[in-house]
Amino acid sequence: MKDSVKKHYLASITDKFVRGQLGRREFLRAAGKLGLGAGALGMGFGNRPFGAFSSARAAEELTPNPEILKWLADVGKPFAGTTLKLATESTPPSNAINGQLKKYFEEATGIKVEIEVLPLEQVLQKLTLDVASNLGTYDLYYIDQSWAASFSQDVFDPREQYSAKADLAMPNYNLDDFLPALVDGIAKYEDRWVGVPYDIPIFIMIYRKDIYDKLSLKAPETIEELYTNSKIITDEMGPNVYGTTGQMKSGHYSLECDWTAWLWGHGGSIFGPDGTFTGNDEKGAAALEYWTKLKATMPPGVDGWTWDGQGQSVAQGVAASMLSWGEFFPYFDDPTQTKVSGLCEVAVPPRAISLRTVKETGYGEIPGVGHQGGSSLAVSRYSKSPDAAWIFMQWATCADTQALITTLGGGTGPTRASVYDDPRVLAQARVGAGTTRHLPVVRETIAKHMGSEPDLPEWAQLSSDTIPVSLGKYFAGSYGSPKEALDDIAKQVGEVLKG
Amino acid sequence: MRIFRTLAGWLVVAFFFFPIFFWTSVAFRNAKDIFSWPPKFFEFEPTVRNFEQVFGISLGFGFGTQETVNPGGGNFYMAPRLWDSIVVASMSTVLAIVVATLAAYCLSRMQFRGRHEFVNWVLSTRMMPPVAVAIPMFFIFKQLNLLDTYLGLILVHGLMNLPLAVLLLKSFFDDIPAEIDESALLDGASRWTIFRRIVLPMAKGGIAASAVLCFIFSWTEFLFALTLTQTGIKTVPVVSSTFVTSIGTAWGNMAALGAAAIVPAFIVVLLVQRHLVRGLTMGSLKQ
Repeated sequence: MKDSVKKHYLASITDKFVRGQLGRREFLRAAGKLGLGAGALGMGFGNRPFGAFSSARAAEELTPNPEILKWLADVGKPFAGTTLKLATESTPPSNAINGQLKKYFEEATGIKVEIEVLPLEQVLQKLTLDVASNLGTYDLYYIDQSWAASFSQDVFDPREQYSAKADLAMPNYNLDDFLPALVDGIAKYEDRWVGVPYDIPIFIMIYRKDIYDKLSLKAPETIEELYTNSKIITDEMGPNVYGTTGQMKSGHYSLECDWTAWLWGHGGSIFGPDGTFTGNDEKGAAALEYWTKLKATMPPGVDGWTWDGQGQSVAQGVAASMLSWGEFFPYFDDPTQTKVSGLCEVAVPPRAISLRTVKETGYGEIPGVGHQGGSSLAVSRYSKSPDAAWIFMQWATCADTQALITTLGGGTGPTRASVYDDPRVLAQARVGAGTTRHLPVVRETIAKHMGSEPDLPEWAQLSSDTIPVSLGKYFAGSYGSPKEALDDIAKQVGEVLKG
Repeated sequence: MRIFRTLAGWLVVAFFFFPIFFWTSVAFRNAKDIFSWPPKFFEFEPTVRNFEQVFGISLGFGFGTQETVNPGGGNFYMAPRLWDSIVVASMSTVLAIVVATLAAYCLSRMQFRGRHEFVNWVLSTRMMPPVAVAIPMFFIFKQLNLLDTYLGLILVHGLMNLPLAVLLLKSFFDDIPAEIDESALLDGASRWTIFRRIVLPMAKGGIAASAVLCFIFSWTEFLFALTLTQTGIKTVPVVSSTFVTSIGTAWGNMAALGAAAIVPAFIVVLLVQRHLVRGLTMGSLKQ
């Protein structure tokens, strides 16, 4: 075997091993086949570019904390034999728990956990059925932030659970460790906590450093700069490479996500303090005009893409930047999946032209260019085993498990402050699959630039149907002007709110 | 002229075969080649990684693939789920065909009050959108402990296919001359004997055609399979939807699963192909 091929294999298997996708034994066996002794491996693992773990350290540290496992064994004993059910979207945290971590929980407690992974809209369908029937089909609910208001009365407030069941409370669980912005934006409805923040996809700026350098551009700091940069790139490099891209599929929730970022970034809001739709005011119209202009710098076909197509347009080198979910970044860095590994960099979202305060909006809407699309995890009020579910929920959302999810689950954004500083998470901040090198920007975006959608029971319908359908029509040319489109949306929203 | 006809035939075949070819080729690509622009039809580096991930096994063509993680969550490996689909589709087909054969024969041969209305009612159930009954069925199944069970889904798919099977089989029985039954009756045979020993063998082509249709409808049914199951059983279409993740669709895995899922249905069609051709052309020559 050629030396270069050997090195490629070694890099590949080591990355898998560090990500927990390869057992220690298989890893050593493979390394042996490559003719590398343990000593050589030990030497080689000191300061390699694709990770800072030693093999032994990785094997030890990417497993749950033994103290937590002991607590699980003690507290879970009375519930051994119970089966818990959770329906969730296929997200990095859920996949990491389902595929790699839940076995530790099951072994320690004797509680079986069945996780049903479904597309988001089907999760909503299943939860709605469960709530309507009060039958307790699911013990735990995965609650997208846009459903928080709808399900707020169907779940336990975790603060109440924590104080009411002292004997079941995990030592050092620390509810205060959850990032306050996420608690407000994802998990809170009125005074209640609708679960605890579970995952946090959030808009950050991802751009091709090589292209930006080539054209002597710097990461866009303002919304106007994003347009200028994008236009330069499209003019210079189109039709092979376009300046930016979007998730603008007509009638899809993703289109609404893009809209809010531009709306908030222009000083607008969806609702005013009196609860009426304000997306059609002067700022709203300016935002839509800007977006129309920006769309001209995007690849053709962008209005047929959700975040999937948007992400692929960057991953395959068609677009030079995107303001979108930070969760994509670890995927972009995977050389086996994309053409841009190591070429992308991150930045906080471009600064807003002006920004409304929460008081100037309605239904707890938080204006900010960094649109967040997080979810909570909660125990159902209809569960037949709420105590066992509460134990699982604490374990799934504790700092140790979150650190493991972040490293094994491919660099998803943690919802706890302490996890961002966890040595296991910091050690993954290198170029390569599952990187965490974007997380400082994610953290800063959550703290300073996060935008969060309003909380009202009708929001699921408005955000996934009413608004994106009309915006889709606008981009298809069905309206005479941005103002006309937004006025029509205002009318429809008013009708939905009237019931 | 003949050359043109042959050429046209091949073009039609190529047109209809292309989606299967392209979908299958996606199953053998990595993400970079799936999304390459302009699209690549033949120039890509083939990989079996998608199949390994979906099945959770190593096919031995790569290195260290036994530990591959299914993007759909880790426990929805195809092999047991393929078995779920095979059990549900075959048993529901047997259920539908057994009941439908008896019902169709009665409707074809026996005169009773309301027979015409009954046939119309059977026909009308095919027009009902499944979504209208899926949710009430969920509540009923939950109370009967049929949720997330083979029996539950077999019953639903069987019932779903029953009207189609009854109507199809009735038309096949109608095409078998009633005089044959009458002659046998005169010779002293019972209705059951006539049905079992004379009519059934004559209608086996039609029965095979109906069974194949029932099997395929059950194999591809999504709504009931999604609503009435959780983690206990999962049919192929439901597993397929799990590849739609929060950060995009795992197209390679989905294509691998789709390509693999064609095989059992293809085998069923192949097994009854002889009867199928006969069944589908039955009744084309009227007396």
